[in-house]
Amino acid sequence: MTRLTSLPPAQAERLAALECPNFETTPWVTGSALSRRRVAIVSSAGLAVRGEDPFRGRDPDYRAIPADTKPEELLVSHISINFDRTGFQEDWNVVFPLDRLNELAADGVVGSVAQTHYSFMGATDPVQMEPYARELAGRLKGDQVDAVILSPV
Amino acid sequence: MSALGHYLEEEGIATVAISLIRPQTENTKPPRALWVPFELGRPFGPPNDPTFQRRVILTALHLLERESGPVIIEDFPDDDPRAQPDPAWHPPFVPTASVDGSAEELAARLEAEIPLLRGAHDRWLAQNRRTTVGLSALPMADCGRYVADWVRGNAPASPRDGFSAPLILRFAVDDVKAYYLEAGAAGAGKPSSQQLGDWFWNETAAGAAIHALRNACLASQDERLKLIAGNFMVPAARVRGTG
Repeated sequence: MTRLTSLPPAQAERLAALECPNFETTPWVTGSALSRRRVAIVSSAGLAVRGEDPFRGRDPDYRAIPADTKPEELLVSHISINFDRTGFQEDWNVVFPLDRLNELAADGVVGSVAQTHYSFMGATDPVQMEPYARELAGRLKGDQVDAVILSPV
Repeated sequence: MSALGHYLEEEGIATVAISLIRPQTENTKPPRALWVPFELGRPFGPPNDPTFQRRVILTALHLLERESGPVIIEDFPDDDPRAQPDPAWHPPFVPTASVDGSAEELAARLEAEIPLLRGAHDRWLAQNRRTTVGLSALPMADCGRYVADWVRGNAPASPRDGFSAPLILRFAVDDVKAYYLEAGAAGAGKPSSQQLGDWFWNETAAGAAIHALRNACLASQDERLKLIAGNFMVPAARVRGTG
């Protein structure tokens, strides 16, 4: 489990002390009931579709993952090696819960699932990601997405 | 991750973040987050446990329906049952690896070991119908040979246009690790990540070779190679001498 006490002391110290952006605003968007929301996954696992351009380093941009991507087509190209990958190897839903979302939509618990999902590479400085995140918001709106679940590693 | 939530929410899209490191989330103050007590790399918990995963994602998504906020940071109550070791699990057979030996010996042992895991990896493919090997886009034998050549100190050129040699080395090391960890998990057992990591880093020739490669690269004059070797080959928890 990721209680910092369970990590090597140097790593725990680094993670706890990691500089985070200090935002002046606390945005808050409300919306309809979950059963009417359209949900997208945005991951920071450095996910890339096999055969497309993987993350090479601390790239600030994102990769698109179409909803019809098959589990065998998705790779992790995150530069960090300090997180478990065996869970994802066995079942992509550990990181990218698309099957669970599709089930929730089929059961009517959520309204629908986005046509496209996305991944950043989470070791990048968030300030560098900002313009890409704001541009991504436009793409999500174009897909009528009104709810995003953010999945870290 | 929480910062992405901030940006998207400012642009008018409601977000909920899974949080793996609570102090970071507390610092970033995202609109909504669910902290989960799972290991890094497993934001939705145990593999192949749809019921558990569904509880995690639903608990997170329901935070979107709250009317009071921001900031919401809640805790998921249950630990990942797959974090426990499986005493019935046994790794595939490989000859006992020694961390000693010349670079040539370590490289040769790595190249000889990869074919021994073919059967286990085939079983993995039959069970799971997928592999996460593929970042380097090299066949596994070529991947092993490329890493082994680096272990020998040959600094081979990149076999792929548009990808530098150090980048392909990083991808090839990632692919070797993925191949072994998949082969190691083939079969009926449900090993924890700790069990698989203990096997790979302590008992295989590949683990020994990657350790040696890291040390050799750290001693090189090439700063880029030093950066990649120092940070992106051996997990911090597995670097010998630091616990």
